[in-house]
Amino acid sequence: MQKGRPIPTLTPSMIAIWLAFATVPLWIEKVGLYQYLGVEILIFATYAMAYNLVLGHSGLPSFGHGAFFGLGAYAFGLAQQNIAPDLWLCLGVAVGAAAIGGALVAAFISHRRGIYYSLLTIAFGQVFWFIAIKSHAITGGEDGLLKIERLPVRLGFATLELRDNIALFYFVLAVFVVVTLLLWRLIHSPFGRILKAIKQNETRARFVGYDVWRYKAAVLVLSAGLSGLAGGLFAMAQSSAFPDVMSLHYSGYVVMMALIGGGLVTFWGPVLGAIVFLLARDVIGAFTTGWMLWFGLLFVILVMYKPEGLGGLFLRPLSARAR
Amino acid sequence: MSIVGLLPHLVNGLALGLLFALLALGFMLILGLMEQINLAHGSLFALGAYFAYAIATPRLPLPPDLLAIWAAVPLGWRFTAAMLLAPVLVAPFGVVLERMMRRTYGRDPLYGLLLTFGMAMVLEELIRTVWGTRDYMLPVPRGISGGFLMLDLIWSTYRFWAAGFAVVAMAIVWVVIERTRFGALVKAGAHDSEMVRALGHDLEKLRVWVFVLGTMMAALAGVILAPVWGIRPHMGVDAVVPSFLIIVLGGVGSFWGAVLGGILVGMVVGLSGAYASEWSMMSMYLLLIAVVTFRARGLFGKKSVLEA
Amino acid sequence: MALFEAHKLHLRFGDRVVLEEVSLSFETGKLSGIMGPNGAGKTTCFNVLTGHYKPDRGHVLFDGADITGRSPQAIARLGIARSFQLMNLFDEFTVFENVAIALPQTRKRGRDLLGQAYAEPALVAEAHEILDTVGLGARADDNAKALPYGERRALEIAVALASKPKLLFLDEPTAGLGSDGRDRLAELVRRLKGQVTIVVIEHDMEFLFGLADDISVIHWGQVIAHGSPAELRANPWVKNSNLGKLA
Repeated sequence: MQKGRPIPTLTPSMIAIWLAFATVPLWIEKVGLYQYLGVEILIFATYAMAYNLVLGHSGLPSFGHGAFFGLGAYAFGLAQQNIAPDLWLCLGVAVGAAAIGGALVAAFISHRRGIYYSLLTIAFGQVFWFIAIKSHAITGGEDGLLKIERLPVRLGFATLELRDNIALFYFVLAVFVVVTLLLWRLIHSPFGRILKAIKQNETRARFVGYDVWRYKAAVLVLSAGLSGLAGGLFAMAQSSAFPDVMSLHYSGYVVMMALIGGGLVTFWGPVLGAIVFLLARDVIGAFTTGWMLWFGLLFVILVMYKPEGLGGLFLRPLSARAR
Repeated sequence: MSIVGLLPHLVNGLALGLLFALLALGFMLILGLMEQINLAHGSLFALGAYFAYAIATPRLPLPPDLLAIWAAVPLGWRFTAAMLLAPVLVAPFGVVLERMMRRTYGRDPLYGLLLTFGMAMVLEELIRTVWGTRDYMLPVPRGISGGFLMLDLIWSTYRFWAAGFAVVAMAIVWVVIERTRFGALVKAGAHDSEMVRALGHDLEKLRVWVFVLGTMMAALAGVILAPVWGIRPHMGVDAVVPSFLIIVLGGVGSFWGAVLGGILVGMVVGLSGAYASEWSMMSMYLLLIAVVTFRARGLFGKKSVLEA
Repeated sequence: MALFEAHKLHLRFGDRVVLEEVSLSFETGKLSGIMGPNGAGKTTCFNVLTGHYKPDRGHVLFDGADITGRSPQAIARLGIARSFQLMNLFDEFTVFENVAIALPQTRKRGRDLLGQAYAEPALVAEAHEILDTVGLGARADDNAKALPYGERRALEIAVALASKPKLLFLDEPTAGLGSDGRDRLAELVRRLKGQVTIVVIEHDMEFLFGLADDISVIHWGQVIAHGSPAELRANPWVKNSNLGKLA
């Protein structure tokens, strides 16, 4: 970060990306795709951005984020069916449940870093996944939690229905705008810069007086909460919640998204990664059932030859823009 | 439940634990020398099981006449052939994986983790493409299948055999690591790769051979465990987590730590299976969390890349 | 009363005794030196004093309070800063941000999640003042990684100064520097002397004898001599050893 040169809250690229997304429902069917894909991409873009707060901005390679996404999804459905069918309430519960899950995990692992952090997050992710599968009475087990409704948006002066995929798309876009704006502010805040410092040199951060453990725990809670928000949206989009989003596979997918897009070097990388991932799923999937075979190979080649991801090619590096 | 009633669970746990230990030892060899976590280790284990199934049942891409001849061979021979051949057939996959991982040496270990995660996804999908998503069962020769009565309880014969196979395989690994020049080099390389170079040995070649050995151990564990666990595409992911768990538990770099860690995990899974079979696999994750919370290096661990 | 006192510190790694009955005291406003041959336990001793390791026995007192075994961050917040022998900077940050992140003002805003970091003009001014002190004023916008060796040493000290320490520990500040760089660093340390209490580890005798008010010699994990530079020059052990020849 340069001295005396404040980072603007709104940047041209930010507005351009929001506007570009806003046009998607107008043309997505004309290029042979479908409206629901847009919804999915935005939800996973939100999720990947939330995840990258941990991986890219704090250097904590979590491999168990699916747990938080899944917690959000189940919490959304359960709140709707057991508390009250109110959108804001249910999304709040989704965020809260995932954040509590994040806090629980954080309490055990925040003194770790690197590979150990990854392994422990895998272990915790598996525990949550296992509970989701085995708690038939609550989650429906492998059959999933069904009959989750797309609740209307109550704004006080008006009520918007989200049954239509286009309406849902714009609602998710609104959430995406808010989340990305918050994340942008966050990474340039004192808190965000301290995380960045810890990422680079944990020991030094400790010796200039930072309680590293608290910051690492706090960022995991935040990231988990926002992942839970995305999970809640996903439950609403799918009208159901399944344990597979909590599996090691799905936890790995969000790491793939963040990395492919260049989340390690650019702010918007995870968004690009989510787009590439889901488009590849549909495009490669149109030719073969085993799309992950080919996509996995492409991913592996990327890790081997371009570890900073695609984002480095298209976007100005974060380090140049906001160091 | 009485003590006697628990015995079969303990024995089953022991057999499972010994096989886990075999799987985990291969994982640890690679971790020790390459300082890389191989998340595809479980996929190599799964490939071993599938190859064994193809050889033993037999479902091989051979001309019908040849296949008919092979099918006429008694199952005992086919099973033995599967145990010997499957690891050899899986070994090239390990060689390719090592080739790919070379690009991540010296970089943040996260990249090795990502690369092997990608390969785990690829191999799992490859298995789905070739064999489909259904479950298979590896048939066991009559001589070692079925059960027998002892202390008024029914015991699975094969589990005893499986434990025996695992012990023999680990004994061989122990001899290779502790009593040969190759083993000495591997151990030296794990501490100081410069030293291996200084001794005039080719570290690159050493890494390939360690990968081959680790891969074959994973595949062999896959073959032996297949009749117990069943064969399904995600068995790789199901197995990789226990193997790193055992290493974390036993401590990186310790042969006996891995063996003891494996047995411990097997026992915990076996015992919790006695009380709540649905939840038995979860017990080992809780065990892992408990251990690393109180003892970061595991039971016998030395300082390693894991603590970075 | 001494600002900082270590009382009979004892530390072992496995079966190796690294520190044995080490007692040290540093007076306010003075520059104290710790010297000794390589491997004598100087850096380990430093690590115990700054909370990196916990001693097996003994006490560390700062400003009259017992700080033995407290975490590095707690000790740092009390007003003890240190530089590292192996340079330990925030490599991806600019020179400015390396200092700015270490300022107490930034630390106090650690819970601010949405505000602009380093927005206060006073903070910016202060960071620049510190950078000017160590002679890096013109380098503020460069990446820390891009600095040459000597300037990284200076930045090490700037980061330590940024936390407004009452006591500053410098771990071999001249290691790896040429004579030119060493002179400049000596000049910097001389300027800081009097503003802040300083403790320097060095095996460069010339550097230490020229600057320090008093010196402790550590060897085999023990304090084997203590006194002013003049007293030490007269010490028979120092005279007979390699250290004596250098001095």
